[in-house]
Amino acid sequence: MPPALPADRGIIVKYGRLAGTVAIVVGGALAAAPGSGTAQDPGVPETHPLIGTAITAGRPGVTLTIGLQQDLDSPNVTAGYLVSSFELWNLQYATLTDKAADDFATIPGLAESWEGSDDGLTYTYTLREGLEWSDGTALTAEDIAYTVNRSRDEEWINHSSTTANLTATAIDARTVEIVSGVPDPKLPTMDVYIVPKHIYEPLSADDILTYDALDGVGSGPYTLEEWEPGRSWTMVANPSFYGWPAAGPTIDRIVFRLFENGDAMAAAIGAGEIDAAHNIPAESVDPLDADPDIVAVVGQQGGFSEIGINAGAGGIGDGHPALLDVVVRQAINKAINREALLERLVLGYGTVGATVSPSPDPSWRPEIPDELSLSYDPDGANQMLDDAGYLDTDDDGVREMPDGGRPLRLRYGQRSESEYEPALSEFVIGFLEDIGMAVEPQVYDDSALTEVIGRGNYDLFAWGWTPFVDPDPQLSYFTCDQVTVDPAEILYNDANWCSEEYDALYAEQNVELDPERRREIVHQMLLLMYEEAPYVVLFYDADLQAYRTDRFDGWVLQPSETGPALFSNTSPSYVRLRAAGTAAPPTTVPAPASTASTASTTSTASTVTGSSGTGPVTEPSGAAVPTSPPATVGPTTAAPTTAAEDDDGGGSGALIGIAIGAAVLVGIGAFVAGSRRSSRDDRE
Amino acid sequence: MNPRFVVAKVTGAIGTLAFVLAFNFFLFRVVDDNPVDNLFRGRNLSPTQIASLEERFGVGDPLALQFVKYVRQTLQGDLGLSIKSSRPVSDVIMDSLWPTVWLVGTATALSMVIGTLLGIHAAWKRGTVTDSSATAFSMITYSMPDFWMAMVLLAAFAINLRWFPTGGFEDAGSTATGLSAFLDQAHHMALPAITLTLGYIGEYMILMRASMLDTVSEDYLQLARAKGLRDTEVRRRHAVPNALLPLVSLSALNFGYVLSGAIAVEAIYSWPGLGRATFNALEGPDFPVLQGLFLLFSASVIVANLLADLLNGYLDPRVRLS
Repeated sequence: MPPALPADRGIIVKYGRLAGTVAIVVGGALAAAPGSGTAQDPGVPETHPLIGTAITAGRPGVTLTIGLQQDLDSPNVTAGYLVSSFELWNLQYATLTDKAADDFATIPGLAESWEGSDDGLTYTYTLREGLEWSDGTALTAEDIAYTVNRSRDEEWINHSSTTANLTATAIDARTVEIVSGVPDPKLPTMDVYIVPKHIYEPLSADDILTYDALDGVGSGPYTLEEWEPGRSWTMVANPSFYGWPAAGPTIDRIVFRLFENGDAMAAAIGAGEIDAAHNIPAESVDPLDADPDIVAVVGQQGGFSEIGINAGAGGIGDGHPALLDVVVRQAINKAINREALLERLVLGYGTVGATVSPSPDPSWRPEIPDELSLSYDPDGANQMLDDAGYLDTDDDGVREMPDGGRPLRLRYGQRSESEYEPALSEFVIGFLEDIGMAVEPQVYDDSALTEVIGRGNYDLFAWGWTPFVDPDPQLSYFTCDQVTVDPAEILYNDANWCSEEYDALYAEQNVELDPERRREIVHQMLLLMYEEAPYVVLFYDADLQAYRTDRFDGWVLQPSETGPALFSNTSPSYVRLRAAGTAAPPTTVPAPASTASTASTTSTASTVTGSSGTGPVTEPSGAAVPTSPPATVGPTTAAPTTAAEDDDGGGSGALIGIAIGAAVLVGIGAFVAGSRRSSRDDRE
Repeated sequence: MNPRFVVAKVTGAIGTLAFVLAFNFFLFRVVDDNPVDNLFRGRNLSPTQIASLEERFGVGDPLALQFVKYVRQTLQGDLGLSIKSSRPVSDVIMDSLWPTVWLVGTATALSMVIGTLLGIHAAWKRGTVTDSSATAFSMITYSMPDFWMAMVLLAAFAINLRWFPTGGFEDAGSTATGLSAFLDQAHHMALPAITLTLGYIGEYMILMRASMLDTVSEDYLQLARAKGLRDTEVRRRHAVPNALLPLVSLSALNFGYVLSGAIAVEAIYSWPGLGRATFNALEGPDFPVLQGLFLLFSASVIVANLLADLLNGYLDPRVRLS
């Protein structure tokens, strides 16, 4: 089994370090999820009282409309980095292995099966039969090898964390061998977007970054048809996608419509202009959820917000010496009222924080035993500080060091990019004042704050992380290896915290095959870090979304129960939507899935076997999707109605236009006539 | 028209434009030094990747060299690459240009016509109920913040009555053409256009009213009446043309501001115009896009100003002779 891994630094997941983005959803496969959907028309498009749907006609078929507030940065998978672009790629590009909607288990994607060598360094994947790109070109092992090797050589930003140590070779059209230069416990999971070699090969390394990527050639369920920056982008069903049910896709076209104004977006879903919305305002969650046709989702993907404390292990910078003392760090933890922050900063949408969250899968987080609890207890915190000798010797309300010297005045790095930061810093000042510490906020943009943290010239800062599916990367960030010792090379351990014990456990979990045992070790690590208190984890963040159930059923939360319905790791909802009121698809296992994963030498692969045995992931439970009364409109009546509405709408649209024009003319005429008459009157 | 007058005005405009070009460059360099740091911080970028990004955005060179490159590129019509989207800045601006011209242009034209008519009538019938109600209406709509008006109209007509869509330029993903596309866009534009028109009317109305009142007391109007002209004739042929002069300058100037868009209203109605492009470019910030937008805004105001001067010179001999 592989020895301890060098720290894996995936794609940055420190959110907010990229201007304008909230989080980076690390790319994954799109939802293979075969076996859902029906061919029937899912219902009547919304009509408008003034102008009917005919104005939008000219597009046959069923359209799903998603509202969001973030435009694509670039459809080019080697250049873009925003969450919205990941949603596009999740739909456009299939991956070698996919992830289960419920629990992120590795399941077959483009590859129907794979086999690992005994040393765990080599994996041989067999592709499904007859794979094609959406333009009809055959998708072969060459495409896989090309993507892996080129992305490694050119360090593509969304690929290189996975492919940095891999070498891929196409053995034959359906067989690709991937060799890792170092033992990699994440294999056989291969969740990088596979790009079409015949499109990308002519592009030089210089040209590839500025390529507009509007080719629309993909292997996933939907491919980009048109992008109108600032307005919308449209994706069409890809008939070549391997995962469609026999009847084909339910939805022909997905339109992502951009809103600048969150309240208007919430209103639009309320009015049925759109079918689902991502990042709705917190105030609109309850009112929308009260609508029987709308479900609001508070979806968590493992992201969390924290206050970091400079534990000083790097030996550089000018952090406050008191923070080297674990008692002071614990006291700060106990001084922060996380419940109040959750309620006041994000209206309670999210979960009160405890340990670091290393994965979207909440089962990686341990329960906190009562005796270790660092939850809100200002009296206890004061007592701890008194006992440790941090007393206010000069009666100015601020404690001094035990030697009576330096007062506990702490600098607090505040992010100018964060929405709730100004309020948070007010709270933190108040909370720490209650335990005799003075806080001086200093506002930085993300670039400057990174620099300050890297130099160790800080005491406290507020920021957040969004983890990968596998807990390893997030755990690796807190190892001693990741403490910055040279400001020229800023590493990930931003609290400068180092523990031999933690590092030993980190190495152990990295080679642990038994998933249960690995989970226990991870729990131990997180508890250790919690107790050592270099972080105050404030809350686990939530994505607020809403979807309508009157046109489509089958929305999937990823992970089940707690996750979001859209913009999740692999975006499984789209393929599974079906006309509202129709029965759930039969739970048959498509041929490729049943032959999955013939051999495996790692724990991950054993999960695959389990998952493929249970067939396609079932619908979320009733609890996760509370309100979706089956609609009574059958698909057979729906289709004719649609046509009728269209005709009617066109007529009424033109009619109303003419009527408005006539009214304006009459109004102007009346005005002019009236004034002439009155001026005549004046004269007389 | 006196050629020296024209030459002087045109030279002045070109000088201003050159100043703006230089000022724009240094304005944005004062704010931040290296957008590559700002936007890509924290990504796993190698030094070579950073160097190539800096090369791409032209931020690695000394300031003087950057300035020379910038001026040369701009004069060739190349505004550089957007940092956020890697698209040419001119594409980003062109995408947003038409929606803004269409929306703000319509609103400006409408408010000009309505405001002027209201002003004429209010002044002509000064002291009557017509005057006071028209003045009150204009003052109220003029003083209401446009974002507030936008929210109220949105809540009333899009959310409650659902007569109009909640935002956007057209039905998302629409491929309609011809009349149905026009109607669709007009339908989407109604609320933002009404909001802006209401906001703009007051300016024209108040100016026109004041200007008319000045004119009304002139002796030549008495003379015109004494000649036996009908009251409407007096107004149309003698009062209004003279009172319109200040309106010409104002209108020409305001058409210059059409391109600046309407940031608040465009944001509330998700209108994909230049105001919203500015707003989006500020997050980042996306310097090349901001630079391009500011240049466009300044240039349009300068050109409009020039046109106003020339038009005034043509209409009013006093201007070009003095």
